[in-house]
Amino acid sequence: MNTTALRGRALIADDEEAMRAQLRSRLHEAWPELEIVAEASNGIEAVALAGQHQPDIVFLDIRMPGLSGIEAARMLFNRCHLVFVTAYDQYAIEAFEQGALDYLLKPVSAERLKTTCARLQTLLGKQPANIERQLSALLLGRPAASAAKPEYLRWIQAVVGNNLRMISTREVLFFRADEKYTRVQTEQSEFLIRKTLKELADELDPDEFWRIHRSTLVRVDAIAEVTRDLRGRQMVTIRNFGEQLEVSRGHTHLFQQM
Amino acid sequence: MIQRAKTSGGNANRLLGLVREVGDTASALWWRFFDWLAQVPWRKLFVIWFLLVLVSATPFGMHKQAVAFIVMSFGLKVLAGGKRKAEIEAREASTQAGEESLERRLAEAQLAALQAQVEPHFLFNTLALIGQLIETDPPQAARIHTHLIEYLRATLPQMRAKGSGTLGRQLDMSRAYLAIMQARMRSRLAVSIDVPHEMMSATFPPMMLQILIENAIKHGLEPKVEGGRIDIRARVESQMMVVEVCDDGVGFNVHAGDGVGLNNVRERLRILYGNRAQLLIEAPFDGGARATIRLPYAPDIFAARAA
Repeated sequence: MNTTALRGRALIADDEEAMRAQLRSRLHEAWPELEIVAEASNGIEAVALAGQHQPDIVFLDIRMPGLSGIEAARMLFNRCHLVFVTAYDQYAIEAFEQGALDYLLKPVSAERLKTTCARLQTLLGKQPANIERQLSALLLGRPAASAAKPEYLRWIQAVVGNNLRMISTREVLFFRADEKYTRVQTEQSEFLIRKTLKELADELDPDEFWRIHRSTLVRVDAIAEVTRDLRGRQMVTIRNFGEQLEVSRGHTHLFQQM
Repeated sequence: MIQRAKTSGGNANRLLGLVREVGDTASALWWRFFDWLAQVPWRKLFVIWFLLVLVSATPFGMHKQAVAFIVMSFGLKVLAGGKRKAEIEAREASTQAGEESLERRLAEAQLAALQAQVEPHFLFNTLALIGQLIETDPPQAARIHTHLIEYLRATLPQMRAKGSGTLGRQLDMSRAYLAIMQARMRSRLAVSIDVPHEMMSATFPPMMLQILIENAIKHGLEPKVEGGRIDIRARVESQMMVVEVCDDGVGFNVHAGDGVGLNNVRERLRILYGNRAQLLIEAPFDGGARATIRLPYAPDIFAARAA
């Protein structure tokens, strides 16, 4: 290997300035010939600057605004060699080890960086490994962005005066169709929203809210008891709340086992 | 003709309503009598029977009815009284257990709030920053280090000092956290705190302000490329303390859950203050998020003298 081959060009992406400075100075000690051509402070900038400067190596922090390091990696992996950098990410570290992806832990130790640099030096001038499969697995498997799980509505928006109130579905006791509007009942207050009961029933988690009547959706957790009144109708009593809700004939099967 | 039919229909309805009401009242009275019978001690029942026999011996006495009552009440008490009594006792016990479990739930919720709080991600990143600053800017490293200690002291349950439940103490620890985040995010994070001095000594539950602030940064400002600002304000409004945390971050994803943090605040407020306290979450029309805690204002009456 001749000395010119050692003159790599690198890009550093990290949203924290101090961390970029640290990596820069450690790299300078471990690999003085490496030229840092640019520094990015978020994932979008990293992709843009990589396109502009065509570096051989990109050091990517995982948690960055705009695009995460892993999302940015998906756009860069066939153009440059990638090294992930993280302070703490249990899930990613496991995945990196399984997928043989290179990574560094912050604060970056001189020893570890020396190993990484030696490896990168042997890779210079070669085509980067195709790591698309590992990256996709990493993106899909991340608890924060599991695309396979359906996304249910978790916040109800209601206009109150000049404000948009956000009501967590965990606060809602029940929804009731009320002519043109839908009434959202919480323990402390009630709101009227324009979303219809049908729309709500489609968007909410069906394990969290049950349709017990054409005009009622009730939070399962909020049900205190189900009783029969004198006329034989099933009535649902809501925990910590006075109102009783009727279960229509078509929905009595919900409470058969109780 | 049609008019009359309607009226008679109305009358029938009214009559039906009346009959139903009488029925309901009778059944309620019957159950009250039954509960009484189930719970009344035998000795008291004997005394009542004895008095009944005495009354029925007088010329006004209706001895047939008296005998019928005695036989019926004896039969009911023997056959069904025991079960009913057990039911009533069980219900009372469960009400009492409900009160005890409320206390237990509060303790649990408080523990959860305190334990879940130090995020490893935050801790490791801060330690990495301190490591870097030791080399490049030792005085700044020492400052961040002090802030981290203050934050941990307030956050770790076994380190939490007594008397931390004032708004002033809660603000101090939030300031330590915000100073660390500002050192990490630099110009991406602007902070303003506007809390009147006299509110500092007022009672405020631990780890609530902190949860709101961490939420604003984690979900609102950290994901925003250009960063933003967080405003913390407090005021008193008709005997209620209003503490507000606003950010101009990325706002809400209606499909993302509200997380353990907010739910924990809501739960603790409900256990501590019932319906007198509230956690409001709003999405201002110009973007970002606003979280507001309203709870009864309890100023420390000795604070003025001490200060």
